[in-house]
Amino acid sequence: MLSIQHLYFSYHNQPPYVLKDLNLEVHSGDYISIVGDNGSGKSTLLRLILGFLTPVKGTITRDTKNIRYVSQKNDFSHAGFPITVKEILDSYRKLLKIKDKNEVNRVLSLTNMTEFKDRLISKLSGGQAQRVSIARALIGKPDLIILDEPSTGIDRKSQEGIYALLRDLNQKHHITIISVEHNLEMALANSTNIYHIANGQGHLCSPEQYASEIMHNTGHNPIDHENCSCFTDVTAQNQNQNQAQAQAQAQAQAQADDTTIEEVRHV
Amino acid sequence: MFSYDFMQNAFFVAICISLLCPCIGIFMVLRRSSMIGDTMSHASLAGITLGLLTNTNPIVGAFIFTAICGALIEFLRKYFSHHLDLILTIILSLSIGTAITLISSGKLKANANVFFFGSILTVNTADMISIAMLTILSVLTLYLLYNSLLYIAYDEEAARVAGVKVDLINYIFAILMAAAVSISIKIVGVLVLSAMIALPVASALQLEKGFRTTLLCSIGFSLLAMIIGLFGSYYLNVAPGGFVSLTSVFILLVVLVIKNIKTVIRRLQFSK
Repeated sequence: MLSIQHLYFSYHNQPPYVLKDLNLEVHSGDYISIVGDNGSGKSTLLRLILGFLTPVKGTITRDTKNIRYVSQKNDFSHAGFPITVKEILDSYRKLLKIKDKNEVNRVLSLTNMTEFKDRLISKLSGGQAQRVSIARALIGKPDLIILDEPSTGIDRKSQEGIYALLRDLNQKHHITIISVEHNLEMALANSTNIYHIANGQGHLCSPEQYASEIMHNTGHNPIDHENCSCFTDVTAQNQNQNQAQAQAQAQAQAQADDTTIEEVRHV
Repeated sequence: MFSYDFMQNAFFVAICISLLCPCIGIFMVLRRSSMIGDTMSHASLAGITLGLLTNTNPIVGAFIFTAICGALIEFLRKYFSHHLDLILTIILSLSIGTAITLISSGKLKANANVFFFGSILTVNTADMISIAMLTILSVLTLYLLYNSLLYIAYDEEAARVAGVKVDLINYIFAILMAAAVSISIKIVGVLVLSAMIALPVASALQLEKGFRTTLLCSIGFSLLAMIIGLFGSYYLNVAPGGFVSLTSVFILLVVLVIKNIKTVIRRLQFSK
């Protein structure tokens, strides 16, 4: 369905490359989660797949044009936008030149959002708004859906609902899914494969293999919640470590400057 | 009052303004770029002065120059992607600089002052034909691009994935903005033109309805402001631009007050 061969990318069209010699084969029915640290190039890869960016070297071959995209949601994305769920979906149906008006009802039903069709998008919870984005992506029965961090800003219960929906779409409706993930637990639980990007290079492995790699590197089992405090991936751990280091440095500096503990806490 | 030709002309133009400005304004407000309307209305002054200098219809001059400025804003977005305010400063410097230089040169073949505040006396048949043509073409284009514009405002990346030519449509939208500015300058004036673009939409947004209803309410508020503004301008013998602008603000205040009263009543009912 999608083939990436020897892909190189740099925002300045010259070395150093953000992505180096990336190779990935996505087959029909796959659910691939792309994981990696902040700045590792996950979203860049996603934008290359979508055609928003052009590779410096290498090729991306898409066997289908029926691709949809669910962008990363943030709390201010649609704040104050006066549009109902039905208007969002119907407008997208018209953009895609799909004449069947029942298509909107079909995707609403698939995502369990029928009862919210007349609700304003700004009045929905984060989880509901994400369901609307997925419903929109389902218009026209796509072969491939690409998502950018689908659980960002969504509470734990709604996250489970979103991933159950994605799993259902993948397994029962045979829609191929590529998802950039920071939510490692959900990625491991739902994906058929994990594509890990580090230092600009990627490797594909099974969720079990990736879990054991994390075990080996960190000593924590990412699926065992009792022993692993993180729900997010190594990125979150790195961020916490960086924050702790920054706080320690600030504290040392503050002590040297005779500043008060309160100021350190503020820092 | 309607026995005067100039009042008939003024009301015809007012209807065109009330129809087109909110249709453009709603997309500008939702893209958080309503200040572009303000910049373009000021930029039109350069087009007016160029029109007066070359002895061509100032509305046509304003349309061409403002469309160029709109296209320039889109072009500069590539170089200053996170600094829209800076782009607007550049465009304002270019256009106001041109206008002041030409006005102060004393070479204009007519008085440009009437375009600052608007006037109901100066709309002639040639203006009405230009305004009618621009309005019809713009409304038709908006109708054809409705879903694309809506999605570019709502989720630009999803629009791109759906095959919408976002860059091309942004340039077309810049031309539509120029058309809205050009048809409004004679009645509303350059200085407060953005009131007709943003304020009716601001009032309609307070109603918290869907997109189509918000758009229709914006047109309704715009029409109300224009009619009250023109009546006020006629009976009080003041410039229509200022009075239309004040009426728009007053309508917004009324909507806000009614909304707050309804909220208080709802809270009282809920507490019982």
